[in-house]
Amino acid sequence: MIEQAPIEQAPIQKAAMQKAVTQKAPIQRAPADRAAVDQAPSRLPEPRINPSVATSTDSHLVITDVTRNFGSQSVLKGVNLSIARGGTTAIVGPSGSGKTTLLRLIAGFDHPVTGSISLNGARVAGDGAWVPAHKRHIGYVAQDGALFPHLSVGKNVAFGLDPAKLPGGRRAVEDRVRELLEMVSLDPDMAKRRPHELSGGQQQRVALARALAREPELMLLDEPFSALDAGLRVATRRAVANVLNKAGVTTILVTHDQAEALSFADQVAVMRGGKLAQIGNPFVVYTRPADRATAEFLGDAVILDAWMEGSLATCSLGGIPVRRPPAQGRVQLMLRPEQIRIAEDGPIRGVVVDTDYFGPETTVRLKLAVPPELASGGDHRYPGGGEIITIRHWNASIARPGMELCLRVVGEGVAFPIEP
Amino acid sequence: MTSDLSASLRGSTTTAGRGNSPRPPFGVSAVSVLAVLIALFSLVPLGYVVYMTVATGWDTAVELIFRPRVTELLLNTLLLMAVTVPLCLLLGVAGAWLVERTTLRGRKIWAVLLAAPLAIPAFVNSYGWVSAVPSMGGLGSGVLIATLSYFPLVYIPAAASLSRLDPAIEQSAAALGLGAWPTFFRVVLPQLRIAMTGGALLVGLHLLAEYGAFAMIRFDTFTTAIMTQYQSTFNGAAGNMLASVLVFFCLLLLLAEVRSRGTARYARIGSGAQARALRLPLRGYQVPAQVFLLALTALAVGLPLYFVVRWTVAGGPQAWAADEFLPALLSTLGYGLAGALATTVVAFPMAYLAVRHPGWFSKSLELSNYITSSLPGIVVGLAFVTVSIRVVPGMYQTAGVLVAAYVLLFLPRALVNLRAGLSQAPKELDEAAQALGKPPLLAFIRVTLRLSAPAAAGGAALVFLAIANELTATLLLSPNGTRTLATEFWSKSSEIDYAGAAPYALLMILLSAPMTYLLFQQSKKVAGQ
Amino acid sequence: MKIRNSALAGIALAASAALGLTACAGSGTPASTGSSAASASGGAVSGEITVYNAQHESLTKEWIDAFTAETGVKVTMRQGSDTELSNQIIQEGAASPADVFLTENSPAMTQVENADLFADVDKATTEQVPEEFRPSTGKWTGIAARSTVLVYDKAKLTEDQLPKSMLDLAKPEWKGKWAASPTGADFQAIVSALLELKGEAATEEWLAGMKENFKAYKGNSTAMKAVNAGEVDAALIYHYYYYGDQAKTGENSRNVTPYYFKNQDPGAFVSISGGGVLKTSKNEAAAQAFLKFITGKKGQEVLQNGTSFEYAIASDVPANEKLVPIADLQAPTVDPAKLNSEKVTDLMTKAGLL
Repeated sequence: MIEQAPIEQAPIQKAAMQKAVTQKAPIQRAPADRAAVDQAPSRLPEPRINPSVATSTDSHLVITDVTRNFGSQSVLKGVNLSIARGGTTAIVGPSGSGKTTLLRLIAGFDHPVTGSISLNGARVAGDGAWVPAHKRHIGYVAQDGALFPHLSVGKNVAFGLDPAKLPGGRRAVEDRVRELLEMVSLDPDMAKRRPHELSGGQQQRVALARALAREPELMLLDEPFSALDAGLRVATRRAVANVLNKAGVTTILVTHDQAEALSFADQVAVMRGGKLAQIGNPFVVYTRPADRATAEFLGDAVILDAWMEGSLATCSLGGIPVRRPPAQGRVQLMLRPEQIRIAEDGPIRGVVVDTDYFGPETTVRLKLAVPPELASGGDHRYPGGGEIITIRHWNASIARPGMELCLRVVGEGVAFPIEP
Repeated sequence: MTSDLSASLRGSTTTAGRGNSPRPPFGVSAVSVLAVLIALFSLVPLGYVVYMTVATGWDTAVELIFRPRVTELLLNTLLLMAVTVPLCLLLGVAGAWLVERTTLRGRKIWAVLLAAPLAIPAFVNSYGWVSAVPSMGGLGSGVLIATLSYFPLVYIPAAASLSRLDPAIEQSAAALGLGAWPTFFRVVLPQLRIAMTGGALLVGLHLLAEYGAFAMIRFDTFTTAIMTQYQSTFNGAAGNMLASVLVFFCLLLLLAEVRSRGTARYARIGSGAQARALRLPLRGYQVPAQVFLLALTALAVGLPLYFVVRWTVAGGPQAWAADEFLPALLSTLGYGLAGALATTVVAFPMAYLAVRHPGWFSKSLELSNYITSSLPGIVVGLAFVTVSIRVVPGMYQTAGVLVAAYVLLFLPRALVNLRAGLSQAPKELDEAAQALGKPPLLAFIRVTLRLSAPAAAGGAALVFLAIANELTATLLLSPNGTRTLATEFWSKSSEIDYAGAAPYALLMILLSAPMTYLLFQQSKKVAGQ
Repeated sequence: MKIRNSALAGIALAASAALGLTACAGSGTPASTGSSAASASGGAVSGEITVYNAQHESLTKEWIDAFTAETGVKVTMRQGSDTELSNQIIQEGAASPADVFLTENSPAMTQVENADLFADVDKATTEQVPEEFRPSTGKWTGIAARSTVLVYDKAKLTEDQLPKSMLDLAKPEWKGKWAASPTGADFQAIVSALLELKGEAATEEWLAGMKENFKAYKGNSTAMKAVNAGEVDAALIYHYYYYGDQAKTGENSRNVTPYYFKNQDPGAFVSISGGGVLKTSKNEAAAQAFLKFITGKKGQEVLQNGTSFEYAIASDVPANEKLVPIADLQAPTVDPAKLNSEKVTDLMTKAGLL
């Protein structure tokens, strides 16, 4: 448990006192892009790209500076991404961020306007090269499975197989279909059924089996679990991850569900406004988001105004250590709700405003007390006091509206410069 | 985040630019060129009318258009439409409502019976009535026969729309205190707008184009007058001027329909089980309703059928003279199949563009074809005769020209069905096939073509139905010595050889019946378009 | 699925039916299906000809069947009306596939002649036809004739009420009492005779009166049927409709009596049906042979003994015995070459009849 550094040790600089800040930033207009763009004004700020956490030496897929636009609408504005062999990458972002477009470019259903895409070192798109989709040997599972309604499940799975090329001919095809269905935990007898007779989850698995039939090296999944019920989603996700891991297939998953991205992948690429805001492993991306928008997208965030001196940020929750301060002085500090714990001996005080019980946990909204350093009047450099934050607690009975609780912060915070 | 989920669940039109690409790849460009050529070709009849009007010279044109005879024709035509269209609307909507929204007994049978008059060509209907009441003539008879022949054109879309209406809307109205009748007029009827305007347009266009039915009862309209002029002067100025006035009215009708359709051009195709609406109990009105429907069906279907059968029996076996009958039957079948096939093939590029690359381009292509198809068969026939004589004499009097005319006349029927079918074969399936290693063309054939085949077949069947019953363009364009069931029927009944004409009528009805049933079934699927 | 199956099944059924029937019935398009085992012993003519036929289909079919039986020449027939076909031939010009043109009345023949599209008729043919039944130019020949007649309902009109002249029909007392088929070439021929006999002014006046008085029907048979049914008192048509119907069941002419105007009245006009060979014919020999056949004994006997009841005029073959002999009709003399169908169409259009 990291103790907060005492405030007196930080140098004091003149700063204006900030009014009470709500947890989420007010709606901001996106700065005008240099290229002429007819886009609806985004409420997210311009992303800043963090370099990849680990440079891979064995790159299976390399995407360099890819752009794509539709008419006057610019959907991809320069994407750089490198995928390691055998790894799983999740491209996550809000709808409209361009992630499906990127996936389609990788699959070969679309041409990039500028930039290039290389597979196994060979250029497949961009700079004059073009390898059509049916020659890229990439598996693709569309959002709703895209099973062929006029074929049985077995024929669907066997669609990509050429009996002439398999030793054993048609017999071999049937065996392979069986094998694939078992691989995705489906009863091989389902081969005779029609797609519309299957449930959504089963259809997705058939689509996966179908794509795996050709033993592709790279597998693209476009929001494959979004159409499933919540309970089924987790189980299917796990099953699919297993299959792909065992087969050693490089996988790219596109999703708008941050929980899915974080749990499924080795590498998470956060996409926003046609560009990648951050690429890194799930833990890093979650605990050390590159900017505020990424932080808020990947999970709940508690954001407070703070004063950065050295590597300590002082705010209503006291002094929080920050590993890489981006600036000094006024900053915005992000903490995850689970870092703020209710502790009897905690240094921070707050009054419960209201609670929301939803079973396993309770969300508690607290109004923070003004820290003693500021309460004494004196120096108004340090912003803070009076913000309402949301935290989570397992014990519902502990928090009642009006109660005063003691809080403690665990771990480091992430600081962002103040947005203009 | 929940909004994202629901957006992606709602369908495949995400912002990932599916189908919105303004720069289609090469294969699609080839299709576009093809579609443009077809659209240009389909504007030939309209171009012909315009050219003829201009070529005749202003003075002559004015003299030929503004004369008492034309006023007479105008009056007849306008009165005919003014009375028939509302009657058809009334009967069609009433029938649809009774069948779809009330506890009518035997509604499954009534549903089909009310669509059945479409299996009987209007001129056969006329033939039946003239047999029953030989002194029939004039506006009243024209309205009677036209209404009985064409009310299914309103009934079918209205019934399809009613069966797909969301009951929640009516239930909300009831919760707000509206009784049954006010609910019908203020809530249900407005939702039938597309069906009603579409049906009214079809009825109007059929009225303008109909020749045989009105000629038989001596009721003069533009089309009968044009035919008369054609028979007297072949390609004279007077006939062409009448044709331009006729075309003008057709375009007016089109415009009126587009306007009154409003912005509700939303078509819902595909699955989605809808909650079934509550049916209004008829109670005491059950018997009157049954009587009404019985009377309607008896007049529209029973009477013509009865007379056709009676004349067939009266004519005896010699009426089925093989040397006349068989060639006519074979010609009809042959032209029907050839025309259906050609139309479906020709419709494909336009349907493809409309579904995969919708935009102003595909819409304007469709519009040009829509305009031509609203022209009466006689105008298309006249245009083709002139064009083929003057421009491509080698094509004159060949089967190809007749098939081309059929294609132009009936393209929209194939288009509507093909569009619906292609919508069932979204791009994603093609792409999935490509990702599985099939080259684009093979993927297209094995997936898209395969999936849209049933709809294409349905459209082809409808075109076949239309060709089997087509009279005027066939009279003008069929190569020497060719007869079809329709033209044979016409020449026999013109000489009052009713017994001789009956077998042809019977066969036309037999050919049309299965297709009519198909049309009825199909309409349930494309309600709202 | 069910619909798709039934649609596909329906198409498959139709296709196989077409194929099957085609296989059984042989080729289906030519009009002549008389004995195809025709002997080629009838002279040197062979091959095929196309006949643009405005005569009644059944009559020409009889001629064609007999001709093909005799010569083996295959005949394709295009059916139409006088002016429709004449105008079409003119429009087609050099590209016309027609070899022979047969009409019911002469104005259409004159029209094509004036466009210089006819070849000279073989001497052998013209020798068979009396002078009054062919034009002096020799560009075409008469093949049959018909007389104008007023059929009337005895119950409605007594003999002294009948008009003395056709011109009387335009008078006010005949309002709503008579019928005609103005859209047909038959009636237009009658008007053309009137034009030739009485001049343009009188014709215009008469047409105006007609517009006031008459009831329009489509086709002479329909007009006669209307008289029979009591809808109208009289109809101005051609004679053979009456006799033809009488020979069949008589159901359309039971109550009808024919009345001949006689006295060289325009209403006694005898219209000549014509036949000609086109200059552009590809098989002129066979075409001329066909014309010769029609005007020969065998062809004219078809008129004498057949069911058409038109007048036979050539090869000294007398008319059908049921008919009033031509000589007794007291028809006015009209030069067929002078009948102008275009003017007639113009006048009738102006009068609002077309």
